Amino acid sequence: MNFPILTTALLAPVIAALVIVFLPREEERLAKSIAAIGTGISLLISIYVYFAYDTSVGGYQFVDFGQPIPWIPDLGVTWYMAVDGLSLPMLLLTNLIGFTAVFASWNVKERAKELMILLLLLIAGVMGTFIAQNLFIFLLFYEVVVIPIYIMVIIWGSSKRVTKEYAGMKLTIYLLIGSAFLLVGVMAIFAKALDITGIPDMSFEGLAQVAFPEQFQIYMFALLLIGFGTLLSMWPLHSWSPDGYAGAPTAVSMIHAGVLKKIGGYGLIRFAIYVFPLGAKFWAPVIAVLGVIGVAYAAMGALAQKDLKYLVGYSSVSHMGYVLLGFATLGLIGVNGAVAIMFAHGVMAALFFSMVGFIYEKTHTRWIPELGGLFQNAPKLAVGFMLAGMASLGLPGLVNFLPEFTVFIASFKVYGILAVIAIAGIIITALYILRAGANSLFGPARPEYKDVKDIRGPEMVPLVVLGSVLVIGGILPSLLFDMINSGVEPLMAHVNDILQMGGGR
Amino acid sequence: MATSLNPTYFIFLSAALFAIGVYGVIAKKNIIAVLVSIEMMLAAVNINLVAFNKFFTPEAFIGQIFAIFVVTVAAVEIGLGLALAIALVRKRGTTNLDDFDWLKW
Amino acid sequence: MHIDYSLLSTEIALAILGLIVFTLGLTLPSRSTNRGLGAFAIFGLLIVLGITVSFWGTQAELLAGMYLIDNFSVFFKILALVAAILIVFGTMSYANNNLSRQLEYYSTIIFATLGMIIMISAGDFITLYIGLELMTVSFIILVAFRKTDGHSLEAGIKYLILAGVSSAVLLYGLSLIYGATGTVYILELAELVTAGTISPLLVFGLVLLVAGFGFKISAAPFHMWAPDVYEGAPTPITAYLAVGSKAASFAILVRVFVGGLAGMQEQWATLLAVLAAISILLGNLVAIPQTNIKRMLAYSSIAQAGYIMVGLLTASPEGIKGVMFYAFIYLFATIGAFVVVCAVYEKTKSDEIASYAGLSQRSPLAAAVMLISLLSMAGIPPLAGFVGKFYLFTTITDNFMWLVYIGLIMSMVSVYYYLRVALVMYRDEPTDPTPIKMGAAVNVTLIIAMVATLVLGIYPTPLSELSNIAAQSFFTW
Repeated sequence: MNFPILTTALLAPVIAALVIVFLPREEERLAKSIAAIGTGISLLISIYVYFAYDTSVGGYQFVDFGQPIPWIPDLGVTWYMAVDGLSLPMLLLTNLIGFTAVFASWNVKERAKELMILLLLLIAGVMGTFIAQNLFIFLLFYEVVVIPIYIMVIIWGSSKRVTKEYAGMKLTIYLLIGSAFLLVGVMAIFAKALDITGIPDMSFEGLAQVAFPEQFQIYMFALLLIGFGTLLSMWPLHSWSPDGYAGAPTAVSMIHAGVLKKIGGYGLIRFAIYVFPLGAKFWAPVIAVLGVIGVAYAAMGALAQKDLKYLVGYSSVSHMGYVLLGFATLGLIGVNGAVAIMFAHGVMAALFFSMVGFIYEKTHTRWIPELGGLFQNAPKLAVGFMLAGMASLGLPGLVNFLPEFTVFIASFKVYGILAVIAIAGIIITALYILRAGANSLFGPARPEYKDVKDIRGPEMVPLVVLGSVLVIGGILPSLLFDMINSGVEPLMAHVNDILQMGGGR
Repeated sequence: MATSLNPTYFIFLSAALFAIGVYGVIAKKNIIAVLVSIEMMLAAVNINLVAFNKFFTPEAFIGQIFAIFVVTVAAVEIGLGLALAIALVRKRGTTNLDDFDWLKW
Repeated sequence: MHIDYSLLSTEIALAILGLIVFTLGLTLPSRSTNRGLGAFAIFGLLIVLGITVSFWGTQAELLAGMYLIDNFSVFFKILALVAAILIVFGTMSYANNNLSRQLEYYSTIIFATLGMIIMISAGDFITLYIGLELMTVSFIILVAFRKTDGHSLEAGIKYLILAGVSSAVLLYGLSLIYGATGTVYILELAELVTAGTISPLLVFGLVLLVAGFGFKISAAPFHMWAPDVYEGAPTPITAYLAVGSKAASFAILVRVFVGGLAGMQEQWATLLAVLAAISILLGNLVAIPQTNIKRMLAYSSIAQAGYIMVGLLTASPEGIKGVMFYAFIYLFATIGAFVVVCAVYEKTKSDEIASYAGLSQRSPLAAAVMLISLLSMAGIPPLAGFVGKFYLFTTITDNFMWLVYIGLIMSMVSVYYYLRVALVMYRDEPTDPTPIKMGAAVNVTLIIAMVATLVLGIYPTPLSELSNIAAQSFFTW
């Protein structure tokens, strides 16, 4: 398999963005169509790769050009694009959300051309983090996404409770400061590995083979946890998340809550836990506690919200707590569940944000008490909203149920009482989701929303695509779990080997 | 003769001269006075160079050559400084450094 | 003594070019020839650049070690020449419209370049001093070039005084080192100064040297001239000061400290680390409230000096390589930013950040280049600054971990004020929506700067290998 199919998927949105640069400003519709084509190609490729991947073999497959291409030799950087069972769900998720995000912003009139360019660059950046198997390239893409988001928030964002300038800057500075810690860690790790082995190598596999001393592992893991934890909105580093999502335009909220956050989780498992098992073991209880606090705190926070976007924002912080709890078990089942939550929550959050975006577009408010009875005029919109809501509270039959269940089982064995608190979070989730749904969608039709039109045409794409994934994933969970298992198993096997050897390395 | 003079004297002399120059640059408000102070600092350097040449490397004239270069360049610098001072007097009517506050100092 | 003058072809050619341009400027009276003079200067500089490139791989010393030619010096000479060419090329229309009499303008730029090049190759203190002063004196003239403008004159006198003081401090340090070791040759110094032979005189000289060079590279706390001079000087000169003067000063700083005083690394490394930390902190924090873009860039350049200093601390080939790599990419980022400043000034006659409102609609290219240049300085991937910082900071993770924290966190803080410019350019509506027309020369320069910043960020290998070779040659004396 020498054709660089993953690089092609990565470049499709970039090329689409370049084409749009040269379009005249008035050709909005054409720009949007090109953006849809660009992301569509990536989506098709990732679907193809997802189903062509051989889970019985596992490991890296679809390695571009058949092998890592030397890129910056003195830093040990190689152009190493490949997928395994861990990357693939994330890649698919990225492109699902990227494709639908284009349609979710179909109605944007103001400077649509620029919006599409930035959106495409953002999608390409996120995609890159998931398929790059070299730490340096991963970092490159990791940070590249921050700036387009900032520009998108300040131009197309909304200033409801906080100004969009504040929201954009808060989001950007939070993430960048978090990534500064990450960068410090990466530089120290690179220098240390070079010291130990004498060969510059920044591939995840290569770094995992280096025998780092235990003290160093603990130190570095803390830095990585701060970096990735900020992105994953780990409590207490989460406060950018609700404000940022509320200020951001729909497409950005979708991508950010849907996939960008998951880069944090992905980095934790792919890099932090895999390369520093001893550090992970040291910090696991802390992660578990922070995760559970996040679940409870954010669920309570969501309960108090009257703005739909804040509600979804807090809810996503709360769900990320489960991911952290799953990682903290450091066991195959728990990590499997955590990765599956990342996928499931991504689909759900993207659908949620796109529906909230449409509600806002049509009613010009996101304030729950001002809404009501939308079901009468916009049934499809209401269905989409409730589908996302049901997935969020973990209704069996939708994709989110099984992953959360798995995490509860695994974490209960390890952490007991903490897991019980986390499970209790589900009840609060049900409370705020149902209340929001009931107050904004159902009840008597309000006269001021008499003329609200239901979603139609391109607006249907997010609902159809993401909704069907929610349902299919719920009915056929093995599609997701087999894939994830094939990726997580070797990683966790490596981790457990080292943990069993103990600190004697 | 050799006992009466040793390099320490020159080091202290030049250090004193240099310190006076530094003080002048900081304390004086007039451009001309500041330029004179800079010249004093350079004079301190020259004393150093010539003295070290005499005591440490009497066989090579490297310190003296250096001093000649310093003198030459110092003349260039002072010429330029005076030219600028004249231009400033014409334009702004003052040689007091405190008056040059158009740019935040 | 036989002297191989061919080794000096770069310097001789540059001096001849400077004299020709000077003579032409005097003898060709009409205003229309000014444009031709600039083109001629660029053409000449390109030839000199070609000559310099042909020296790549030569390792020789001249006049018993007074003049050193190695890949390290050739690398920095290329840098200085590229900077001169790009700046003259990109700001020719600015010079034509804003500087009344230009007959000395181009020749003085060439002489400043000559000063840099002599300084870069200097093998002893006398050559160092001559090169440094030639550069400084030329810059004083250039900074005060708009002699009818009070701001320019004020910047000139401030630069003159502080440059004079810093030269004196530097010289005093050099004289003490000469007194302590009895030599002015840097290579001899390296043999004489070893850990066992450190005298108080030497240490005192070293401290003065740090202070003197600190002025030249505008490192805090010796930075106070930079904001005023950057703001008051004509913008092309500001750009050249920020790039050329700084890079050349770094070259000689490396030569003296790493090449000559490596035996005292313990003493100066901590000193420089503290200086770097102060520069990074102060530069980035004071840049935040600035409203004038040239002042903001001045403070940011102070921070950049701090980053580059990091490469010196270990006195290792990796660190020197980082210095060279970073200096080169800093060139493109700075020139990109300042050429945009020139272009905007020509239209709006203002350097205030507020006047950049809606630049993305008035000139998408200028806004994009400004954004990319600023983000490269902040070290955001995939721009070149990220790789540069990676090279620099990985060398010190063992001994100066605290500085790594300061450097990286502050570079993220710097994004805050860089993004405020982006905010004004991209979000705000322009007060005057007419497009800013830039000449072909400006466009080409901007595109070169942008492409270089992007490409070197994504694929830095060619430049990093060149700087690696150059850094190796530095250690083979």
